[in-house]
Amino acid sequence: MIFFGILLVLVLIAQVAEFFIPPIRSLFNAHIYLAPLIVFYGAVVLPFPLMLALALYAGFLLDTLTVQVIGGKVEISLGWSILLYAVLAGVMHGLRPLFVRGRWEVHCIVAGLCTSAIILAQYLMITFRRGSISFTKEVWWQIGTPGLVAILVSPLVFYVLHWIARATNPALLERRRFDT
Amino acid sequence: MKRTNVIALLVLGAILGLLFNLGPGTTRDFQAKVYQLIAPLLTGGSGIAKQVTQVRSGLKSLEELEKDNNGLKVENRELRATNQALRDTEHEVNRLRHALQYKERSVFKLVPAEILARDASTWWHTATINRGKEDKIDNDMPVITDEGLVGKTTTASQNISIVLLVSDENCKVAASVEGTREQGIVQGERVTTGVTPVLNLNFLSKQANLQPGQKVYTSGVGGVFPSGLLIGTVKSFRVRELDGQAQLTPAVDLSRLEDVFVVTGMTKGR
Repeated sequence: MIFFGILLVLVLIAQVAEFFIPPIRSLFNAHIYLAPLIVFYGAVVLPFPLMLALALYAGFLLDTLTVQVIGGKVEISLGWSILLYAVLAGVMHGLRPLFVRGRWEVHCIVAGLCTSAIILAQYLMITFRRGSISFTKEVWWQIGTPGLVAILVSPLVFYVLHWIARATNPALLERRRFDT
Repeated sequence: MKRTNVIALLVLGAILGLLFNLGPGTTRDFQAKVYQLIAPLLTGGSGIAKQVTQVRSGLKSLEELEKDNNGLKVENRELRATNQALRDTEHEVNRLRHALQYKERSVFKLVPAEILARDASTWWHTATINRGKEDKIDNDMPVITDEGLVGKTTTASQNISIVLLVSDENCKVAASVEGTREQGIVQGERVTTGVTPVLNLNFLSKQANLQPGQKVYTSGVGGVFPSGLLIGTVKSFRVRELDGQAQLTPAVDLSRLEDVFVVTGMTKGR
């Protein structure tokens, strides 16, 4: 539970930090996202109910910080990010056995893909609400770059989180837990 | 599947069901409360971000000094560093004096605010300001600078508010073009491609034939934005199937916003 609490704090810090990380101007203003990586690491090591709790917390934070209420209408209602996080964290959770065998590269790549999937899903949802779908080069860069950055950064983030997990709750990382 | 997992899934499903059915008012309340909770973090983060920027600019000038004055003594460097710090202060004083003068001559009742953070997500163009309901700021209030229109507030909590920038596709502003009878709706683009966002002025007549450099102001239609606020200048004009569309360069450099004003009303006698 200590590690779960630490993850909750880290997700909050990462979510706030994203406000201050400037977008990459040279890559069509693509943003960098850190919070999904923490959620996806949590999904790998935490038991299923706690994974869902983490997805609920992170999704709620993401929704409340980005949702737009304009003219008495909510563009994307609260809850969609929770659903997204829960599904994607479920995918990561399914890869738990690989993680303990040291196949970190799979999780790093999947974490990047899932990060891009969140942004793609957001784009599809606002497109559905606003109409006129278009997938230009800029759109793909803005969806793909955060994923690529996540793939590059995830080994470091996962290593630090793994170290914290080992220090606070080594039982979480026992092999038998992953093999069940 | 384990029993605890099934229960967890059911609980999550129930919470999602509740959240999906929330109305706009409750959603806005939730949002305001969350922003209020993280307000200290945003304020602290904004301060750190500004310090980092100052240190970076300081290091830059030191590098230049080292190149130009390799043989200068340490005392000389200290003096120059002090000078740099004073220049920063002078810049700040000038900026605030400028803002104060604008506030005094404006026809609007203005509440000055500082940008804490902006653009936390890819698809929504918003900024967070350090003023809220305590400063009589409410939802749907215009936000401006002395250069022109910035956007409008969408959610106001006690001492923090979210501003929907004019560059966002959801921010629609009724506008008129200087020197013509043309009127239209200004709207941002869903995907920003360059450093400077482009605004679209839609629903113009096909014969409008606007020229680059013409100024576009708010027309006052719609009730949120008062008339006469500069939105931007015409960059190009094209005729579409049903109407004319102009592309505008925003009057305000939205990427470098520091201080803004929230329009809370009109001054007496105006």
